[in-house]
Amino acid sequence: MSEPLLDVSGLSLAFGGLKAVTDFSLKLHKGELQALIGPNGAGKTTIFNLLTGVYRPQQGEVRLGGRLLNGLPTHKIAASGMARTFQNIRLFGDLTVLDNVRIACHLRARAGLFSALLRTPAHVAEEAAIREKAMALLEVFSLADRHAELSRNLPYGDQRRLEIARALGTEPKVLLLDEPAAGMNPQEKVALSELITLVRHRFGVTVLLIEHDMALVMKICERITVIDHGVTIASGSPLEVQGNPAVIEAYLGAPSAEGH
Amino acid sequence: MGYLRAVSPFLGAIVLAFVMQFGVAPMFGAYYQKLLIDIGINIVLAVSLNLVNGFAGQFSIGHAAFMAVGGYAAGAITYYGSFHVFGDALVHHGQGDVLFLAATLVGGCVAAVAGWVVGLPSLRLKGDYLAIVTLGFGEIVRVLLQLTDDVMFKRADIEAASVGTLALALGGALGFGGLPFYTSIVWTYFFAFTLLVIAVRLKTSGEGRAFLSVRENEIAASAMGIDTTRYKVRAFVLAAFFAGIAGSLFAHEIGTTLNPRELGFQKSFDIVIMVVLGGMGSISGAVLAAIVLTLLPEFLREAASYRMIIYALLLISMMILRPQGLFGVREVWELYRRPKVSRPQVRPPGSLP
Repeated sequence: MSEPLLDVSGLSLAFGGLKAVTDFSLKLHKGELQALIGPNGAGKTTIFNLLTGVYRPQQGEVRLGGRLLNGLPTHKIAASGMARTFQNIRLFGDLTVLDNVRIACHLRARAGLFSALLRTPAHVAEEAAIREKAMALLEVFSLADRHAELSRNLPYGDQRRLEIARALGTEPKVLLLDEPAAGMNPQEKVALSELITLVRHRFGVTVLLIEHDMALVMKICERITVIDHGVTIASGSPLEVQGNPAVIEAYLGAPSAEGH
Repeated sequence: MGYLRAVSPFLGAIVLAFVMQFGVAPMFGAYYQKLLIDIGINIVLAVSLNLVNGFAGQFSIGHAAFMAVGGYAAGAITYYGSFHVFGDALVHHGQGDVLFLAATLVGGCVAAVAGWVVGLPSLRLKGDYLAIVTLGFGEIVRVLLQLTDDVMFKRADIEAASVGTLALALGGALGFGGLPFYTSIVWTYFFAFTLLVIAVRLKTSGEGRAFLSVRENEIAASAMGIDTTRYKVRAFVLAAFFAGIAGSLFAHEIGTTLNPRELGFQKSFDIVIMVVLGGMGSISGAVLAAIVLTLLPEFLREAASYRMIIYALLLISMMILRPQGLFGVREVWELYRRPKVSRPQVRPPGSLP
């Protein structure tokens, strides 16, 4: 197979004596959809934070399209093509739905502060283009008719979808989704999994997904990596992972020695 | 066509400034004309502080220090410059106004540099900690200004003195007296309207939304590619520039004394109160609050010594009744849109920061 788009190798991070992530490796090829699963507190979100520069890895490398991302600040990592959503929703609550997406689109904008203050024709054209792009994104997520609402007033499921729309506004190569289905009801989850598949094909993004809902993960992902206590315990296709005794142990606990 | 649209609001600012001087001001007596200038200066201060506190969400309580830096820099240039050019420090309309304009812009730039210096620690500090730094900066400026030498007033001395000596002869604790009174309604409102054009254009552009995203959620903003540090510093620098300009207007106004005490933390709090009262992030709110809070002490002149008590009561009741300020983040022209009833934000179970 060709060079992976996202190549993570030997990533480690410890908070004092607590090893949050140990020797984490992952290869994500262009167009793939992989999942990262594991019990609560396994270190999944910490891995996302390492990938996006919120934390600096103490060991290991993160490469996106061959470029080393270690140590870059978060906004530069976003500029190089990595976007994410947040497990605990982090929308710009007091701004409108449209503005949330437009802020993400600003990353690819060219006109600077002075052309904004002077309202140069280039700036005006760019603003119009950004608005159009943002509205098109909201259309995909069926949020277009709510574009003028404050994002914190959206229902919970819409907020989750707006987070994905906003992440796509940065035109990412890799999209990291942190529990996008958390708190959703079964119908919403079905709709979400269809949406993720649609987004993946329509925007040509490569997706890494953290999710607890096994049914959803098994249905849409090609490859699954399972971690527990920061250590990778299994990796493979959904079927392989499902039957792996280490995974069953991590989720259900080890059969006890006394045998009851 | 496009470029006409680009500059026309700024031309409008000049026209409106003249309308204020020759259309509005003659309707009032001298006392109210001075009040009109005070209002204009406070509008500049409140709207510029709003860029930091309201737009970028960085709580600064040292705005008067930038005002002092700009005011003293501009004052020194017009005062000592006048001696060099005209031989005295009286008002010389025409040439003198040009000198005043140049001094005001230099004052703004000096304040902007100070803003950059204070903006740098803001990269690391948040909330109360940043507020303490800005407060400390204000005190440093005040103390340094108190340590300056007496103002020189003899032409021969001034012409003989070096620039360095003159830059330190700012009057110390007594204040910088004898500045020519160049501040007029035209100048004040020219700068006020220019700042308003800039603030509104900023708020409605991608650059301005980047400021707002820093206020809303810094982690999410940087994940969306916003260089939060850069935008915080930008907010500080831009706000300090206009505070410096307001300082120059204040320094050259009739009936004010440019002294360190006047521009201490009390003044900073007055400006913060305007921004909070108007609604953090609302430009029109800041303007309205600046007008109200300039006029209020005048109407309460008999109770002048209770002004701060009334301020405090006003603030406390505002915080209880309308914690988001008069307009919240919205503008007066957006008020017709009914606010949506805000539901409590639903948090997912077991959410981690």
